[in-house]
Amino acid sequence: MDFTANYDMFLNEEHELLRKTVHDFAEKEVAPHIREWDRSGAQAEGPETRMHIRPLLQKMGQLGFLGICVPAKYGGAGMDYLALAVVCEELERVDSALRVVLSVHTGLNSLSLLQWGTEEQKQKYLKPQAEGTKFAGYCLTEPNSGTDAGAMLATARRDGDSYILNGEKTWISLADVADHFLVFAKTDPAQGNRGISCFIVERAFPGVSSHPIHGKLGVRAGNTGSVVLQDVRVPAANRLGEEGEGFKIAMSALDNGRYTVAAGATGLIQASLEASLRYAQERHTFGVPIADHQLVKRMLSHMVRKLDTSRLLVYRAGWMKNQGRRNTRETTLAKWHATVSSFEAADDAIQVHGAYGYSDEYPVERYLRNARGAIIYEGTRELQELLQADFALGTRENRPLRRELPAYSAEEWG
Amino acid sequence: MHIVVCMKQVPRDNSVKINNDLSINAEGIEQIMNLFDEYAMEEALQWNEKLGGKVTVLSLGPDEWKEQIRRALAMGATDALLLNDPSYANLDVLGAAKVVADAIKKLGDVDLVLAGRNSTDDESGAFGPALARALGWPQLTYVGKFLEVNDGAKKMVVERHLEEQVETVETSLPAVATVVKDINEPRYPSLLRIKKVAKVEIPTWGAADVGAASSAASVAGRVPPPPRPKGEIVDGADAAEKVRKLVDKLMENQVI
Ligand SMILES: Cc1cc2nc3c(=O)[nH]c(=O)nc-3n(C[C@H](O)[C@H](O)[C@H](O)COP(=O)(O)OP(=O)(O)OC[C@H]3O[C@@H](n4cnc5c(N)ncnc54)[C@H](O)[C@@H]3O)c2cc1C
Repeated sequence: MDFTANYDMFLNEEHELLRKTVHDFAEKEVAPHIREWDRSGAQAEGPETRMHIRPLLQKMGQLGFLGICVPAKYGGAGMDYLALAVVCEELERVDSALRVVLSVHTGLNSLSLLQWGTEEQKQKYLKPQAEGTKFAGYCLTEPNSGTDAGAMLATARRDGDSYILNGEKTWISLADVADHFLVFAKTDPAQGNRGISCFIVERAFPGVSSHPIHGKLGVRAGNTGSVVLQDVRVPAANRLGEEGEGFKIAMSALDNGRYTVAAGATGLIQASLEASLRYAQERHTFGVPIADHQLVKRMLSHMVRKLDTSRLLVYRAGWMKNQGRRNTRETTLAKWHATVSSFEAADDAIQVHGAYGYSDEYPVERYLRNARGAIIYEGTRELQELLQADFALGTRENRPLRRELPAYSAEEWG
Repeated sequence: MHIVVCMKQVPRDNSVKINNDLSINAEGIEQIMNLFDEYAMEEALQWNEKLGGKVTVLSLGPDEWKEQIRRALAMGATDALLLNDPSYANLDVLGAAKVVADAIKKLGDVDLVLAGRNSTDDESGAFGPALARALGWPQLTYVGKFLEVNDGAKKMVVERHLEEQVETVETSLPAVATVVKDINEPRYPSLLRIKKVAKVEIPTWGAADVGAASSAASVAGRVPPPPRPKGEIVDGADAAEKVRKLVDKLMENQVI
């Protein structure tokens, strides 16, 4: 069955052609190696030396995936925000580590440059990122601050026409791979959230170093690590937005990052469902395929429900982005629902596979390990729950931002 | 230089089912560009990048094939042509080749036709040779390498990769060549081109447009080969007795 059929209220021929292209890429270039790459993450020690990571990013860059929804004049493919969701779905259908790249490079970093950057910053940083020749990360989390980002300790001290940055960021995706980082640091520690500013930091700047985190439960095929900033001199021209606007930038970035996470989780649900459908028709017990047993059917049908509801929530958020509407509520709902559902779907997929699902002979145990992280990063499940209640209670509203994410324009972006 | 690539849309894998009338049932199976045609398309694009001119992707098939035609356009083909007419529905290979030949003649300025060595669904491998015959052009099958394509001198040098030898052949153009696997590495469609071609009208010719009434055989029906007669197991108390009985039977039937 084609689970992506009948979404033509959102998608057109362009998205279909795109879906096939990403699908082929993931199946041909990643699927045959993913078990080995995932295992390599469990065995790694010391600095990041794994050889598959960079070439994979380069290939995704050459194909235009990394600048999918960036206007052509900034080096992108000029497609819309729904196209971004399609890419994430198809990548995470094969492995979450691929989608994580889209989340940090495209969602969190590049789209923030598109939204908040000066023309000069867009030419200098967004363009090579959209063209896929430079890779980008997002540094908000610190050893002692995650959900409570305002508690960060990193500082940025003004010194002439530059800032001096100090601090440690951890759990940073692509920490050892990215060429550019968006780094959040306090320009005025006394001001709390309002004292945070955002900077474009190049790995090449003296004082920037990184090291990987080992022993992760999931996204083992990808790189995660810490980024340390020691007296890093950053030109004032590299400040994104105004001084003190960093927290708003960080949160608006998450509206785009969470969207990619939600879309990816939808792809992971589909992968769990497809694997389960195949296996349930092959495996026999008591003289019939296990797909004939009602309790197995129930697991399949719940996966279908989660798949369609997640996809609809994602596409609604994407549609709103295309229109230029603020979508914080819709995006966080999609992220919460899709990630929690993807973990449940992967769990059921293991159940359908019985003992075989418990080893990496089949991909479903990897789906479960990968799905778990998305319930933590880019806003934990609990944070999303609080947000939804606050929106419903009317205790939270979206105040207009100085710069909103630009609406999609087929003519201007092409 | 005008290169035409003949492209067929086929179901992915060998997971197709067989209908009661023994035709192929590909319902619900993802449709893809025939593997060998994808190599032909890539080869055409590479020569087009060197020599300029046009690359036309040409298919004889139903409207659904526009999907792969668009993919070819997104890879880089400059033009497309779909031949679709109710009378083409049951054409056999020769009939299809004749229709395509008529269309190519009508296009007029074609220098080279590329196709895959066979399709992965019907696997006849006869389309390329039949097309060359219908056009009256040289045919080069199993091409594994294009050493030279010379637009000015209207000639081409290729390697034919045969089972036991590699044959280097020089031919005049226009010509028809069919390509083998792994001759190149087919590119993915470009996202910028996807945007451009997603909604373009695919030019379609019916029988009236192709002109020249191409009469040919069509597939009237399919029957399975007769079932193999059942075997018989020779019984006996021990091996010696079984062998004796078997020899008797063979003599009875005048086999020995
Ligand atoms: C694989 C992976 C990749 C990551 N990539 C990046 C990256 O690229 N860039 C980046 O900046 N960060 C990244 N992170 C970090 C991630 O965003 C944080 O882990 C996340 O924000 C949670 O922060 P924490 O881990 O410090 O947990 P904490 O904030 O310490 O939370 C611990 C627990 O307390 C709960 N909790 C906290 N506050 C509340 C509250 N007010 N009410 C109710 N419950 C609460 C949380 O929900 C959670 O269950 C990544 C993490 C992972 C696992």
